[in-house]
Formats: sequence, structure tokens, C-alpha cells
Amino acid sequence: MRQREEQELLRSRIRSLCYGMVAALLVLVFGFWNHQMVYSSYYRDRAEENRVREVPLIAPRGRIFDRYGRLLADNRPSYNIVFTRENSPHAIEQTLALLSDGIDMTVDEMQERVERRKREPKFRPIVLKEDVSVADIAFVKAHRFELPEISVEDQPRRRYPGGELAAHALGYVGEVNETELATREFADFKAGDQVGKAGLERVYNRVLRGKDGFKRVIVNTQGREMGQLEAEEPIAGNDLHTTIDLDLQEAAEEAIGDYAASVVALDPHTGEVLAYVSKPSFDPNLFATRISGPEWRSLITDPRKPLQNRVIQSHFSPGSVFKVFMASAGLEAATLSPLQTAFCPGHATFYGHTFACDKRSGHGTIGLHDAIMMSCNVFFYNVGKDLGIDQISHFATMMGLGRKTGIDLPNEDPGLIPSAEWKRKAMKAAWYPGETISVSIGQGYVSITPIQAAYAMGGLAMGGRLKQPHFVAPEALRKAGFTAGEVYVEEYPIHESTVDIVTKAMWSVVHEPGGTGSKAKVVGFDVAGKTGTAQVVGKQAGLKGKQYEDNAWFVGFAPYRNPEIVVAAMVENAGHGGTFAAPITHAVFETYYKKKMGTFEQSATPEVAQAVRGVPNPGGR
Amino acid sequence: MVNALRTHRFWKDFDWLLLAAAVALSVISLTEIYSSTMNSQTDTYFTRQFAWVVVGIVSLFIVASIDYHRLSEHIPWIYLGAVVILLYTLIFGKTVSGSKSWVSVGGMSFQPSEMIKMVVVVALARYLSEWHGERYMSLAQIVKAGVVCGVPVLLIVLQGDLGTSLTFLPALAVGIFIRGVRPVALVSLFLCFLLVLPVSWLFLKDYQKDRITTFLHPELDPQGRGYQIIQSKIAIGSGGFWGKGLFNGTQNQLGFLPTRHTDFIFSVVGEELGFLGVMITLGLLAFIILRSIYNAQTARDNLGMFIVMGIVGIYFFHIIENVGMVIGFMPVTGIPLPFMSYGGSSVLTAFIALGLVINVRRCRYVN
Repeated sequence: MRQREEQELLRSRIRSLCYGMVAALLVLVFGFWNHQMVYSSYYRDRAEENRVREVPLIAPRGRIFDRYGRLLADNRPSYNIVFTRENSPHAIEQTLALLSDGIDMTVDEMQERVERRKREPKFRPIVLKEDVSVADIAFVKAHRFELPEISVEDQPRRRYPGGELAAHALGYVGEVNETELATREFADFKAGDQVGKAGLERVYNRVLRGKDGFKRVIVNTQGREMGQLEAEEPIAGNDLHTTIDLDLQEAAEEAIGDYAASVVALDPHTGEVLAYVSKPSFDPNLFATRISGPEWRSLITDPRKPLQNRVIQSHFSPGSVFKVFMASAGLEAATLSPLQTAFCPGHATFYGHTFACDKRSGHGTIGLHDAIMMSCNVFFYNVGKDLGIDQISHFATMMGLGRKTGIDLPNEDPGLIPSAEWKRKAMKAAWYPGETISVSIGQGYVSITPIQAAYAMGGLAMGGRLKQPHFVAPEALRKAGFTAGEVYVEEYPIHESTVDIVTKAMWSVVHEPGGTGSKAKVVGFDVAGKTGTAQVVGKQAGLKGKQYEDNAWFVGFAPYRNPEIVVAAMVENAGHGGTFAAPITHAVFETYYKKKMGTFEQSATPEVAQAVRGVPNPGGR
Repeated sequence: MVNALRTHRFWKDFDWLLLAAAVALSVISLTEIYSSTMNSQTDTYFTRQFAWVVVGIVSLFIVASIDYHRLSEHIPWIYLGAVVILLYTLIFGKTVSGSKSWVSVGGMSFQPSEMIKMVVVVALARYLSEWHGERYMSLAQIVKAGVVCGVPVLLIVLQGDLGTSLTFLPALAVGIFIRGVRPVALVSLFLCFLLVLPVSWLFLKDYQKDRITTFLHPELDPQGRGYQIIQSKIAIGSGGFWGKGLFNGTQNQLGFLPTRHTDFIFSVVGEELGFLGVMITLGLLAFIILRSIYNAQTARDNLGMFIVMGIVGIYFFHIIENVGMVIGFMPVTGIPLPFMSYGGSSVLTAFIALGLVINVRRCRYVN
């Protein structure tokens, strides 16, 4: 091969190489044309998704105040550690392992939380730990370059400065759960939202909740904010002004001591709830942060049932408190004459059974007034026998017992006023006349809630006028732009003379020698009321022990003409109503009276003092 | 020798167009390196790269001035020296991102494997130009050429830098192709390659396997390994025709683009300067390649031709791999884009390579 020929051969090979290279470059040109011209808008959207993030701005809930504007619930600033899976440089397990040491939380715990929300969009942050300490925040800030996917988010958190104070009335808040989200009540909430779970927090959730805002920010690849595009500020929820009087509330809570007890005070003119105590109580602040497993278990397994809202959810035999309603019913049905007497030898026999009176030696010959004052069973056995169960049922129900009062709290229990028809339906058995005798003194099937006792007693003292108990006045809600009904008023026919006779007798219960409720007395305030000492199931069988002690009742009002306040107190397994319940109502009446007279001195316990001072609301407005 | 710089002839025959294209690329490169590192903690990238470009241009003139025949005469010793340097690196080198391919000289880190490409190119060219008159290479000749190229490649593979070692092979492939292989040999070589492929898979490191699976299925793991490709495609695609404007690329400025001043510098061009900028940059690169091929065809002898075509092979591969990678046409490797990517060794080597091409052109009329 000559050199020239060879040269030509090599050159032709170079040429073909050259064509191949040009073809390859054209493929690249095609690739860029495709990306930058044909699908450009698609990539532009994805670039925007990359850099723009919507950050929720959580609105603080409205605050809750007592009737004088003293703080019951507000918000405090708090911080959560959140995990954004989008653009994370680590695998999830890696991130959690790196974080675990720093914030004192196990990988499993965090993994579980991620698992629960793994189907949500990746840009939505997942809360790994709530309400973290300064040390936790410092850890996250210090590691923001190694762990750009972890950040700190602020969320106003509920705070109850009084702790356990009025906890059952206020209720608590918590993260809405899946079951709740499926109901109509929580239809316009989304996962992760804080909602009222119990008490007023739940009933007035729509009032208290604010409107969350958001901001659209530019973030870099580490999720750090580099600028803001637009923002919609959150709107705080409406404040809730309740009818609770912190002074009365505190007086009642203090007077109860360690007993399991319910106390409720109402204004019988308006139906306003002035004090509302269910003991033992719980600290709703525990729920404001995600409540821990052990804390929750100890609350629900506590045999004393601190979460039970006794005032409206527990029903008890009213015992002798029921006699007031028996007397009224007898007088109204005209089966009982105001001048009627009975002979009490300490017991009486009906239908072959012997029924005892509290006073073993007997009251002797006794009239209606004294029978109420001294709580004579034998007199009322006769009243009951003459009325019969169906009339007892009719009048007791009319007067507000054995049915819901309509208070603005969730899950009220109706209690039970038995009738022959009820027994036929519920027990498939006929009513025995002997059972009427037990009912006459508030034992047997009859069973009422403490709120009913105060409600019905107030209605009776007002001359047959029942006002729906409530914490929040509908007018106030309407003023804030919400729809609200009216406070329900129910009037039943009752003779003025009947009211006069029973209320006078109840005044004597407190004021006359021999009356069972003298411990409720407040000099100058004309307290009237009725004690009750109700046997609990089991005692008849002769069982002994604390849990078989009698339930102590006192339901009273003051002043006994045109009453301003009605108080019901029920102390479980304590003993005699006059000894254990009357002093609690005394504390409430006395506080009320002192405030009225202007001699009341501010309460001294620290939590109430703190609540009263009204710590400013940093997370709020 | 360097004395050539003093002659009128040197400046007259100098390929100014090639230099102009390289300088234009450097300007684009420096601008985008500035843009992509202006928000980072250290802001020395621009100045350092600028210094390397200056050093590169000076080196280009020096390399262009030394007659390539002289280089070829001394190449056995230079080649031996290169092998020693590679051995030294293998034993005493610094490990940077998984490969032990860096040495420190007076406080400066340097990747010798880059520069050694030029040594291999000249050595191969000398071997391939040693005989005349055959239409095709014999098997023994192919094997010998393979050994010339293979020794440094093997040493670089041992350093753990598979990407860089791959860039030597185009010089060999182009050389053999031009020198001539029988179609039968071509087919059997291809079959050997197919046979070696699954075996070599066993020798790949995990991250290398990952890169290949990610290239095939980037959407499988958008958070992890596919992330780079996806973010690069978003950057380029969102640039559109005109681009988002210099310093305005969101993918670039907010850090969504990985290794944006080095391997993915072309994505920054795509995002900020758009299709227009891409075409200009790619056009300049293509011009350098095609102009070099023209220089090869007009070279005085086979030695010059093989030197230029070796360089063309290497840099064409760099361009196709790097530019193909940023739009997902090629798997992710750490192969830089010549004249564009940040990195001293890479820029310096590119200018030296260009110096060799200019050298060959300059000498075409010398009798």
C-alpha cells in the first residue's frame, strides 16, 4: 500500500468517526430541545414545587374566662420537632437514629409516628416530639446542617393556669383522631388539628377555634427559609366568657377535701352555673401536650375515676333529698294534706315488710313540717303509699328529675325516675307496691345526677320555674356572630302554698333545733335546704367497708324567699348528709354572701391567685 | 523548543480560533462557577478557577511551542515517570470521595491521572505511527497498543477511580479504529466486551452499581440516588429557551442542584442561560472537536494525526458523558466537562491538550 493510499484510508476512517460524533451531538441537542422547549412548563412547575413551601400558621384558640373576666384557659408558646421527608438526604431510619440520641426519644416511638402519617404528602411535616425543651431545640439548631430535614415548628398550646380547677367544666383539648374526623362534628378539621375533646372546650369548639393561616415561603434544599412570597395571618378564636365564679369554685373545691364528690351551684333565676366541681379531678394541661401512655393509663385505671364528670354523668339515689319533691307531689296531688300527721315508732310495716326510720326511737306523732325538718322516713312512707308510683313519677319528672337538664356539656346522663310502665318495659316485671315505699325516701330505683338535684331544687324554690343550666349565655355567642338558641325555660303548675310549705320546712332544716342541716347555715343569709343520706347498693346486704358508706347529700338555696343561688353537694361514701355535704354548701353560700356584702377577701391558694391575676396570653393575641 | 515563541512563524500559524473558543468557554464557565458558589461559605472557587485558567493558557503556549516530535522522542521516559507517579499515588495518595487518586504537592492537591491522559495519548500515537502500509492491525499490535494504554488505566482503577480510567479508553478505541481493525476482530472485540461486562459487575463497588441502576431507573429512589438526575433535569427543563437569567436559577441558587460547580455545571448553564446558552456552549465544544479533527486530517504525519485524534476521542467522550448525564441520557459518573467544570487538574489538562492540538497544526508545513 502506497503512503498516499494509506493516508486516504486513514482520513476516510476519521471522516466516518466525525459523522458518528456529529450524530451523537445531535442526539444531545434533541435531548435539550425536548427538556427545555417541549416539556419546559412541566419542569418549571417542578422547580416551583421544589422552592415554594406552604407553612401553616396555627391560630391560637380563644381564651376562656370566668364571669368577672378572670382567666381559666389561654395559650402559651410551645415548639414541636418536625420531620419533613421531602428532599431529606437520609433514609428515614438514618434520620431517626441520628436524632434519637439528641432529643431523648427512641427510634421506635418516632418510627411509629412517621408510620401513622406516611401516606400524607412528603412535604407535610410530621411531628416527632411535642412541646420540646430548650435543650431539644438547641440540639436541632446545632445540627441543622447535618439534619436539614428536621426543624422546629411553633404551635400555641393550651394552658389552664388553675390546673385541676373546674377541669370537668372546661374539659381539655387534644389532636383530633381518625374516628372523630369521620363525624359531622369535626367535619371541617384536618389531621393534626387541636380540637376540644371534652367539656366546654368541646361544646364551644366552633367558637374557640381560630382560623389557621399560612405563608408561602421560598426554601433552599435544606428546607431553610430564604424569603416569603405571601402570607395569610391566622385569626385567633373567639374568647369564651363563662358564668363560673372563680371564688365560689375555689370555695367548693377547698371544702371538699379528699372525698370523691360533686358540687354544683346555679343561679335559679337565670340558670347560670356559678360553680361546678367533680372530684377527684385531673390536670387538663396534661392533654394539651400529647398525653403520655403511662399518664393516660393511670388516669383511666384510677379506681377513683378522675375523668368521670360526676356532676352530670354519675347518678345516685337522692335519699332524703327526694322527700322535698315527695311532699310537693303529695300536696299538688292532694293525697297529702298540709295538716296531716303520722305516728313514727321508728319503723313501719307495709305489705308485710318492715321499713325503718333513721331515728330508731321514733319521732312520735309528726306533721309535714317536722317530717321534712327531721327527715322522718315513716311519714314519707305514707306519703308515697298514698301517691302511688305513677303519680310520684309524674310529679318528679315534671319537677325536673330523671331527665337531662340540657346543660351545655357533652354526655349528660338522664338518671332515672321509675314508673310501673318503665319497670314493665325495662325489667319485664310488674311493679311491687313495696317498691313505692323505698322510692318515697329516695331509695330503690330512683336515681338522679347532682346537676338535676340543683336544677329541680332551684325550679321548686322559684315557684315551678326551671331554667336550663348553662355556662355561656346565648346572647354573648350571638354577639360574636354565632347562631345560638335561647336558654330554655320550663314552667310547671304548682300552688304558691305548696312552695311556701316546703321551703319553710327547708329553712327549718337549717335553722331550727332538731333540723338535720344546721351546718349549712350562714348568718344573715336565710339558707334553706334538705339533707340526704343515701344507702349505696351492698350496705343492705351487711357488707362493710369504705365503699359501702352512705352517700351524703345536701341540696339548698338562699335566701329562702326569691333565692339567688342553689347549691347541690354530693359526697360519695362519706356518711351523713348533714355532717359531710352541708358544710361544703356552707362554704359556697358563705363566700357568695360575703361577696354580696362586700366583705370577701381574695382567695389565697396559689393556682387560683395565679388564675385571677390573669397572666398575659403570649400565644394568643 | 520554547524559543519557537520568539519566531514570527509560531504566531502566524497559531490556531487562534481554537484558543478563542476555549477562552469563550472559560468565560461562561467562570461566570457560572461564580453564580453557583456565590451563596456558599467559601467564595474562593471563582478566583482559584480563574488562576487555573491563566495557568492553563500559559501552559497551552508552552506545550504548543515544543515540537511534538521532540515530545515523542522522550515519551518512553515520560511514560515511565507517569507510571511511577501513579504507583506513588496508589501508595501515598489522598482519598477523596472514595478514590485514592489525589496527591499533595506543596500544599496543592492534584489529580495526576488527569494529566497522564496526555502522556498516554502521545505514547499511543507514537506506537500507532511506527509502521506503515498495513490495512489492518494484527492481533499482536492491538494487544501491544492495549498494554500501552492499559497499564496506567489499571493503576487508576486500582486507585478506585473508575470514572477517570474510563476516559483513557476512547483514545485507544479511536486510535485502533483509525489504524484499522478487521471487521471480524471488531465483532470478536465486541463479543469479548459483552462477556467481560457481567464479570466486571462483580468487581464494581456498591456505589458504582448504584449509579448504574439509578441511571436505568432514576424514579425508583427520588430521595436518594436518583435525586441528582431528577434535580438536574428539573433545572435544565425549567430554564426554557431564554433561561431564568444569570444568578437567577432557583435550582442552582437554592442548592437543589448537586455538585453544581463541578460535574453538574452544565445544568446551571441550562437553567440560567436556557436552550440558547446550551446551544452556544455545546456549539463551542463541538467547534473545538470538529476543528481538531480538521487539524488531524491536515497533520504533517501520522504521529501528529494520532495525537490529535487521541485527544479528540478523550474529550468527545467527556462531553458526551457529562452533557448526556445532566439530562439523564448517561449514567452519573464524576467525569468533568472540559473547560467548564470547576477543578484545576481538569482545566489545566484541557488547555494542555488544546496546546498539543495547536502544536500539531503549527507544525503541518514544517518540512
